[in-house]
Amino acid sequence: MTDPDNSLVGLGRNAGAAVLILSSLAGGDKHGYALVKDVEEFAGVHLPPGTLYQVLPRLESRGLIVALEADERRRPYRLTAQGATVLAEYITAQQRILKTGQARLKRSWSFA
Amino acid sequence: MSSDLEDTRRAMRLLRWYPSAWRERYGEEFVDHLEQEFAERHSNLGRSVNVVRKGVVARLGDIGLYDSVANPGAQSRAALGTSVAFAALMVVVMVDFWSRAMLVWSGRRYHPIPVSATTGTLTVVVALVLLVLAAIVIVVVTCVVRQIFRGRVRPLMVPSTIAVVTGWFLLYEARFFPRYLFPYIHGAHGFQGMSLSRPGQLIANFAQVTWMTTQRWVDFWNPGIAPLSTTQRVVDDCVPLAMFAFGIAIGLLVRRVEIPQRIARLVFPTVALLGALSGVYFVAYVGWNLFGGPSNYDFFFRDKWLGIVYLVLLGLVPLLVIRSGLLAREHKPRQWLNHIEIVRSKIESA
Repeated sequence: MTDPDNSLVGLGRNAGAAVLILSSLAGGDKHGYALVKDVEEFAGVHLPPGTLYQVLPRLESRGLIVALEADERRRPYRLTAQGATVLAEYITAQQRILKTGQARLKRSWSFA
Repeated sequence: MSSDLEDTRRAMRLLRWYPSAWRERYGEEFVDHLEQEFAERHSNLGRSVNVVRKGVVARLGDIGLYDSVANPGAQSRAALGTSVAFAALMVVVMVDFWSRAMLVWSGRRYHPIPVSATTGTLTVVVALVLLVLAAIVIVVVTCVVRQIFRGRVRPLMVPSTIAVVTGWFLLYEARFFPRYLFPYIHGAHGFQGMSLSRPGQLIANFAQVTWMTTQRWVDFWNPGIAPLSTTQRVVDDCVPLAMFAFGIAIGLLVRRVEIPQRIARLVFPTVALLGALSGVYFVAYVGWNLFGGPSNYDFFFRDKWLGIVYLVLLGLVPLLVIRSGLLAREHKPRQWLNHIEIVRSKIESA
């Protein structure tokens, strides 16, 4: 298990945005705007700037991402090994829920 | 004006909603991000509302009233700073109300038990709040002086100046206290002299002198006092504001000054104590009023709504102090760093 201090539990209502950010950074280093565009592309969700910059510092302080050297005014962020572990654990847990839900829908409601 | 320049100005305006520490760290990239968003979609009310809302949240975090990303020590220091500011604001009305409650109590022959109990509670709570605040001020001032002698003056300059100016003003306004106190030590106006063998009389005399000193500061609270000049009235009305400014200045110093480790460990218990004391004061105040304490005025106010507003504010103080304390506790303090120590550790790690 991951140290609960560094997991997504303490992020409360920001946990959803945190997962999107971690998933985006799993594909490579990105600065804020590139991150928003990537999330828009793979999740169809637009992260408002206030929300993005509320979550980034929290992820940084938990050691899940790290800020790299700024390129002029743009500062890219990188997923850390700890961040990758937390994201993997979260996705595994979600997949378990997904499979259970799908199986029950198929059995009881005849959904494919 | 070119569109780029206008976008930058808009972004800078939105950035102002965030606290200075946040702006220092994320300001440049945030402005750059906003400019790119503006270029794509010029106006978007939802986006502006989102930025403003999160900026306010960041500011609340900065003063310890919302979960912030600050290190554990900083969150606890912010909580203590906020608690001190609130407690300082309350202290003027607290001591004034206590002195009146005490005088009403000591002027009666028959004391219903609830009135005696709540008056006693108010006495103990006010004394403890004053002691805690005095201890905080002494510790902070000592640390500030030590840091000034070490030559690290810059981050302390503004709050120290505010603390000195408002502290001087408060001492000037309290100048009558010793003069009023003197006759009561030897017995005057139907009050017996002070003696440690008669603690009840001692407290009643202190209450009388406190009331005489503070009644002018809370004019709306104490109707019918001797007429004063307009200038004096304006100066007196500034006392609660000066007390609040003094509290804010001490709160800022708590956050910026280097506090020894063994004292820093007491930050969370102090916030908890201030929260508990302000909560008990609120309950005792309500109880005192409900159990027949006031003799002339409802809630001691000529205006009923003013009384209700005061009651709500009085209830908010313990809630906010307790919230800041709980947030500080959630951060599980493991190391205590101030701004200078954070910069030093960053330089060392680099």
